[in-house]
Amino acid sequence: MVTREDVENIALLSKLFVPEEELDGLTKSMQEIIDFADAIAAAPASDGGFDNINNLSNVFREDEVVPSYPSEEILKNAPEQAEDHFLVRNRE
Amino acid sequence: MGCKAVKYELVSGFETHIELSTKTKIFCGCTTQFGGEPNTHCCPVCIGLPGTLPVLNREVVRFAIKAGLAVHGKIAEVAKMDRKNYCYPDLAKAYQISQLYAPLIIGGYIELSNGRKIRLHHIHIEEDAGKLIHQHGDTYVDYNRGGVPLIEIVSEPDIRSIDEAKEYVEKLQQVMRWVGISDCKMQEGSMRCDVNISVRPEGTEKFGTRTEIKNMNSITNIARAMEYEYERQVDLIESGGKVVQETLRFDDATGTTSSMRSKEDAHDYRYFRDPDLVTITIPREEVEELRSEMPELPADKFERYTDEYEIPEKDAALLTKYRSISEYFDKAIEGVKSPKTVSNFIIGQIFRRLETEADKEVFDVATTPEQLCELVKLLDSGKIRNNLAKSTLEKMLDSGKGATDFISESDMGGIDDSALLELCKNAVEGNPKAVEDYKNGKEKAIKALVGNVMKNSRGKADAKAAEEKIAQIIRNA
Repeated sequence: MVTREDVENIALLSKLFVPEEELDGLTKSMQEIIDFADAIAAAPASDGGFDNINNLSNVFREDEVVPSYPSEEILKNAPEQAEDHFLVRNRE
Repeated sequence: MGCKAVKYELVSGFETHIELSTKTKIFCGCTTQFGGEPNTHCCPVCIGLPGTLPVLNREVVRFAIKAGLAVHGKIAEVAKMDRKNYCYPDLAKAYQISQLYAPLIIGGYIELSNGRKIRLHHIHIEEDAGKLIHQHGDTYVDYNRGGVPLIEIVSEPDIRSIDEAKEYVEKLQQVMRWVGISDCKMQEGSMRCDVNISVRPEGTEKFGTRTEIKNMNSITNIARAMEYEYERQVDLIESGGKVVQETLRFDDATGTTSSMRSKEDAHDYRYFRDPDLVTITIPREEVEELRSEMPELPADKFERYTDEYEIPEKDAALLTKYRSISEYFDKAIEGVKSPKTVSNFIIGQIFRRLETEADKEVFDVATTPEQLCELVKLLDSGKIRNNLAKSTLEKMLDSGKGATDFISESDMGGIDDSALLELCKNAVEGNPKAVEDYKNGKEKAIKALVGNVMKNSRGKADAKAAEEKIAQIIRNA
């Protein structure tokens, strides 16, 4: 059973703020998601099941350098930046 | 450690992170070069942009297998990648790709000089995190290091003293460098240790509550931190308190440990299989191929040197500290009668010219191992004496030239018995004071007489034979 405390704890770990009035609704939703996953897990499967939908293994890349992106490109999505670094403000 | 009624035993296990020296990162083609302008060794994969897909670097798997073979671990037939979820700016994705359920290497051990084996639980591969610089309360993030491949070597809690801990780290560092998978530079962060430590009354079985000291980056600090933490835990227990399981940081300046953020336990990392990365299967042929490429390991060389060549353990340890030295030694002893002589030349005269550890590791010496071999063979065959060999080696090391460039035909052949007897007689006659001292029981006085013989033979006389002859002359006088 998913409890309100579970939801609070997950929100804390995910650094998400969840308003008090949404807790009950989220607890119910999360229980439904888990029930859905349990239903899949309970479905009969062939021995060993499969690892991924294409049944692939050993997909590798050779150890060859490809050029990296310029730092301006890398920093484009940074909410804030300074001196070519991503900047994370301390909110406290 | 004071006079305590109960003696406490230290129990410790290590988690050691080693950066692999592949050219590229674990899941993308960005360079792994140390340093660089901030955020210039990055791409959408290693900064975790949505929609990107990681692809595993084949060389990372091969390097990890080599690491496993170097510590006698079992190479898994099937390995998988997992996500370790946590929210911290050093990883942009909010998870680290690591291995929990099916790591590449299982078991293994590091054997210490006291014969104890520190067992390894497993070795897994994972990505390194970015670098955080904390300034004025804000955090500056550089993701150049993010995605650099790491292996994490997790030991069992088998370490029982600070000396064992130091040797464990040294041996791990030695063997990983040896097989060429990492430079293991603790000062640059390419090798870092998390130290788990607890204490228990000597003779008891049950482990005490452990603490974990994070991110230790020098062997000296590991020893200091462990010493402090051992004392702290013992004092706490002695005064009726309890050790709390927590993560600690070591302060280099004060030599003390202090509590870091409360540790989320393994459960809270919500590990799960990374759906972006397919299963790794390792054919046994590949393992055997890698095994055949492995160099002779330092522990095996050490055994060969001490057992077969009767080299003292202390010297054998120096010869096997770096692969470059042992390879030089192995070449230089080819066909010589006494490998010990070669060892003495290396540890004595050659080491004297290599001041730092880095110099010793590079082992850039003007004299080739073949040239040293030739010199030792001249000595072996009795063609030259030890002190001539020594002075010749100095000249060889200065110039890079061979032994025969400095030793003329007339230098070779030593001196015959009658000539030696003549020289000894002269020494005795010319130094009545030393003779008198020797007769009066001052045994060392004979060295002066031997010195005289060596000087007058221009180093060609055999010192031991001279000493015997001089003693005989004085006795019979």
